[in-house]
Amino acid sequence: MTWIWILLAPLLGGLIYGGERVLRARMQRRQGPPLLQPFYDMFKLLDKRTLIIHAPHALLAVAHFLVLWFTVAAIFLGWNLLYIIFLHLFAQILLILAGYSVRSVYSHLGANRELLMVVAYEPILIVVAVGFYLISGSFEISTILQGGGYWHQLPLLFVALLIIVPIKVKKSPFDVGEAHQEIVGGIEIEYSGVFYEFLYMSRFLEYIFIYSFVFLFGGESYWLGAVLVAGTFLVVNLVDNATARVHTADMLKIVYGVAMSLAIINILGVLL
Amino acid sequence: MSTLFLLPIIASVFTLLLPFERVHYFISASVLVILSVSAFLLYSSPEIVTFQLSHSMNLLVVIADIILLLYFLYQGIKFKSANVIFLSAVQLLLYGYVESIAPIAGSAEIVVDNLSKFMFLIINGVGGIIVLYSVRYMHDEAVSATKKSLFIAGLLLFISIMNLIVCANSILLFFLLFEMTTLASYLLISFRNDPLSRANGLKALWMNQIGGVIILLGALVAIEGFGTVMFDTLLKSSGGMVLFAVALLSLSALVKGAALPFEGWLLGAMVAPTPVSAMLHSATMVKIAPYLILKLAPVLGSTLLGNFFSVTGALVFVAASYLALSRFVFKEILGYSTVALLGLMMALAAIGTKESMTLAMVLMVFHALSKALLFLSAGVLEKQYHVKSIEEMKGLVHRAPKTVGFILFGFVSLTLPPFGLFMGKLLAITSISSLLRERPLLLIVVLSLVIGSALLVLLYFKVASAILSSPCDIHPSEKEYLPYGFSIPLWLLTLYSIAVSLGFIVLQKNLFIAWLALPLLVVILLPSMVKRMEQYDRIQPYHCGEKELFDAALVYYEPSIRVRQMIYWSFGMLFVAVAFIGVLS
Repeated sequence: MTWIWILLAPLLGGLIYGGERVLRARMQRRQGPPLLQPFYDMFKLLDKRTLIIHAPHALLAVAHFLVLWFTVAAIFLGWNLLYIIFLHLFAQILLILAGYSVRSVYSHLGANRELLMVVAYEPILIVVAVGFYLISGSFEISTILQGGGYWHQLPLLFVALLIIVPIKVKKSPFDVGEAHQEIVGGIEIEYSGVFYEFLYMSRFLEYIFIYSFVFLFGGESYWLGAVLVAGTFLVVNLVDNATARVHTADMLKIVYGVAMSLAIINILGVLL
Repeated sequence: MSTLFLLPIIASVFTLLLPFERVHYFISASVLVILSVSAFLLYSSPEIVTFQLSHSMNLLVVIADIILLLYFLYQGIKFKSANVIFLSAVQLLLYGYVESIAPIAGSAEIVVDNLSKFMFLIINGVGGIIVLYSVRYMHDEAVSATKKSLFIAGLLLFISIMNLIVCANSILLFFLLFEMTTLASYLLISFRNDPLSRANGLKALWMNQIGGVIILLGALVAIEGFGTVMFDTLLKSSGGMVLFAVALLSLSALVKGAALPFEGWLLGAMVAPTPVSAMLHSATMVKIAPYLILKLAPVLGSTLLGNFFSVTGALVFVAASYLALSRFVFKEILGYSTVALLGLMMALAAIGTKESMTLAMVLMVFHALSKALLFLSAGVLEKQYHVKSIEEMKGLVHRAPKTVGFILFGFVSLTLPPFGLFMGKLLAITSISSLLRERPLLLIVVLSLVIGSALLVLLYFKVASAILSSPCDIHPSEKEYLPYGFSIPLWLLTLYSIAVSLGFIVLQKNLFIAWLALPLLVVILLPSMVKRMEQYDRIQPYHCGEKELFDAALVYYEPSIRVRQMIYWSFGMLFVAVAFIGVLS
């Protein structure tokens, strides 16, 4: 059963992405695209003529997608949370190397920003994992999901996670990675056709990755987890519609200043 | 056993007698093989060897020490460095006093325990490779043949000193060898003899002499309090001033490990020829710092002093990673990241649980391998392509694909799964988290570990961004000429670090950890697909219609002078606070 979920993960992520586009359109009182638009896009991309700059650049996108898929599989299999975070880092580094491997200003700019985003959210994710460990006594997702009470004991840590979710799903105020096409797509710029397709699908997997952290706060009660995910989803999109993009350096300041402090206060509260 | 001390000395004599490059290759290769094999054999045998110095040998140690200190004094007067003169004089007086009250009898002066054997592996394995590399490196150096031989002989002698220092049980013998490594630093940094090298050499000299003074003070406390100059007797005693003595000794580790605010000497050391930077300032000599803490850990661990020291090390890790972001000379970047990782190793060692000590050792091995690889690659770039700054490295992958490959491997092995350094950090997070409830102070260590690692990722891959950008592959990249003298040591280090990582994963007996290696397989398999990529058409990158090609700038973070001074002051105060806590507890 788990394996079927793993195989279907990109499709599931695609549905979340499609749903998000519908939701945002409704918030802006637009008709918006149909729910299955991401998949229509996929077929369209497959039809396009593929142009590449050089082979390693194109292949790194494929590797990024595969490693990300592996990461999501590890989540479904209930592995160690720290391994999962570092596998994700690995995937991200592959993408960043891809961005750097071409002599293109926008690609480099995008990769620089992607790297700064890693620096911003990575520590918070690990601190969240440490928080789970302190309550449940294990880093294994399967064990974490058997416990409960994360929600009342780690409220500030949840807020810290909430602050970094927009970074990962590229939503305002932290959508610096692609900046709504202001840096013409950043890392994605030099990809086309089938290789862009891989990047497009890895975005779906990113959704699953980050929202599963939110889900974990529900613990043994899957309902609570689902409610938290839905609530976060709604809040993130509301904020996305209501705020402007911040400067990259400010993103780092906000994450380290606000999210990190909240996380530390919460963990100190648990410890003392 | 004695091979490890004597063979390098004999080899260095032959290097001086026969100043021919082929002979040097032969000598260094055979030294590498013999030393690594004997270090490995020693490591696999369980016995603990002790050796008592005879009276005349002890006398020899005293004489050597006095000559050494007088030489430092002479250098200080010759180059008019007030710091050096002052510290040498202080050391001479202190040493005379300590020696006059030191008890004659005691336990054995030389003890080869498991920790020493472990250090032998690093020193001889990595050190030998660096000596081999330095033969080719010296080939292009614009100095006389005698000086080239002297250089190689010096490195060989240094291996011998290092092998001795890690089994010194007497604090005074340790002091002598500590000062001899300082001497080696000083001579090798000022090897090129230009004003900058000279100034940086003197800086390294006086900063390390502070460490010497502190060791002597530690010895003084040990003698006054417990009537011993032996590490093992001191570590077995309890109560009284034992923690103060230990605190002083561990402070000398902070100096040798170039922890802030002493990192200046290690960065200055980067003007030295690259094998020196690789050998002394990343792979072996600075490892004395975590080694000493590991030795003291049985007493340090679980005390307030140990926790506080651990926090200091962890903060050094973050601060040095952050300061590195403002640098653009490749070797300085590597130097700062060495300072950072040494801080982390000391932090883990000072926690003092069995697990964290093992992890500190794991970090030491992998750091030595990866950093040696990176430094040696930096040396290749310097010699073959005359680039030192990362700004000049743009698009280097096109000109030097092999060397860039080694550098990238070095970065990956420092940050990503399944390599040892990454594994060490991962397990360290797990291990420290399990201690958090009893020792909340360690939360700072976890946070520093996490943030510092993220900063190091930023640092390494920022450098990668400079070297990687390559044009469309319709033009095949140039064939790089990499002489065997360079490529063999680089390959050896790469294979070592892969093999040791695999061994480490197997030792964990944890299936999940093995899975972590799987993504790497994906990456390794990808190049086989390159051929099939020919079916796709190529385009040039998008330049928004600009006719002139331009590159994106690299990211730098420069703290303002005020922030920088604040960092130095706070680390200075932490340094003093460690001694203070030692007195109180």
